[in-house]
Amino acid sequence: MQAVNPRHHLGEATLLSYAAGALPAALAIVATTHSSMCMACRRQLRMAERIGGGLIALQHEAAPPAGAREAMLARLDACASSAAPALGSFEDAAAVGPDTLPVPLHPYFGRSLAGLPWRWMAAGMQGIRAGIGEGTLLMLRVAPGEGIPMHGHHGSEFTCVLQGAYDDEFGRFSAGDLAELGTDDRHRPVMASDMPCICIVGLDGDLHCEGCSPQALQPLFVA
Amino acid sequence: MITGKSTEVAEALQNPPSAAMHDWTAQLEAVACRHDRDSFMRIYDHFAPRVRRYLLGLGVGGALAEELTQEALLRVWQRAQQYDPGRSNPETWIFRIARNLHLDRVRREPAWRMAQEYLDDLDGAVDGQWPPGTESYAEEAIIHQAIQQLPGIQARVIRMSYFEAKSQQAIASELGVSLGTVKSHLRHAFLKLQAELTCKR
Repeated sequence: MQAVNPRHHLGEATLLSYAAGALPAALAIVATTHSSMCMACRRQLRMAERIGGGLIALQHEAAPPAGAREAMLARLDACASSAAPALGSFEDAAAVGPDTLPVPLHPYFGRSLAGLPWRWMAAGMQGIRAGIGEGTLLMLRVAPGEGIPMHGHHGSEFTCVLQGAYDDEFGRFSAGDLAELGTDDRHRPVMASDMPCICIVGLDGDLHCEGCSPQALQPLFVA
Repeated sequence: MITGKSTEVAEALQNPPSAAMHDWTAQLEAVACRHDRDSFMRIYDHFAPRVRRYLLGLGVGGALAEELTQEALLRVWQRAQQYDPGRSNPETWIFRIARNLHLDRVRREPAWRMAQEYLDDLDGAVDGQWPPGTESYAEEAIIHQAIQQLPGIQARVIRMSYFEAKSQQAIASELGVSLGTVKSHLRHAFLKLQAELTCKR
């Protein structure tokens, strides 16, 4: 994807839950996608992880079962060298092309926007749903000028813009920006770019519609 | 806002006086440079009981908790050369290893670890938040003190997040408050700890 300079970021509560490993998977994947494009949030995440380090250091000790120390020593012997196993390089995965998806999305959608199996969802809107264990992870492609009906959420909705832009009650969201919406937030996004707007959306609950039939959003849930 | 100091945290956490005296960065360097087993076992003796408690607290069964504790410490042994004191202090590095193992093996989110390694990779080796020369144990002491001074409710939502891996929604349900309230407590806790660390470093 192109170089981005995000203006909408992870909230402090999200930073903590993410660092704690306590964010529902669908939301965490969207948060990781944003962080891969946002150095400011990566730095904030390190701060939140320091809190985890402090907490674990302040923990009571749990006594080892008999023989644990000997077992550890035996495992050191078994791997005679402390040489680090080579880490995989991400250079190939991150090779930038106009259609390259952010690396954190590769396990769910592959590497490229090109040739994705888009499915019709509504007029001007296509989507792809990824299989994840917990919540809903959805890539959306919305045509220029189209809008999504006013809706709210039971739970949280995280959206990260990958391409294009949209406007809603909370501002303009462009490539790299992250939108966090909670239970009380309703919005009606309207696409604001000449090209289709492509977003990754994570949901840990249901959507509910206001002033439109629930069926209008139904395609979002049909795999 | 609740301003009382948390007795809950004081009861649940302890501050071993010996911990602050150890320079874990130096121990890790000895492991990285010389494969020093004595240094490693000092790290093991201190951190393994805490990693074990962390995993047990997350609900991991005894046998698996022991297996993952050993695996976490084995990674410390194997990857000591990759530890970069400019990026995190030793306890944070070990926390991340344990957290990532739990998400990978227990929660079965296999893409998580890859994603974390990728995020690490993005900033190269020299993007430490702390100026070189900041002793990690001094930094650790500041954060330990700041955590212990959090107001009770903030300490509670922090503990439920880190030690029980509870989502904000689950915390809200358990405490009988709104999601917004949980977010607000987490937010204030983060800002407070961040302020402590940036003022006193």
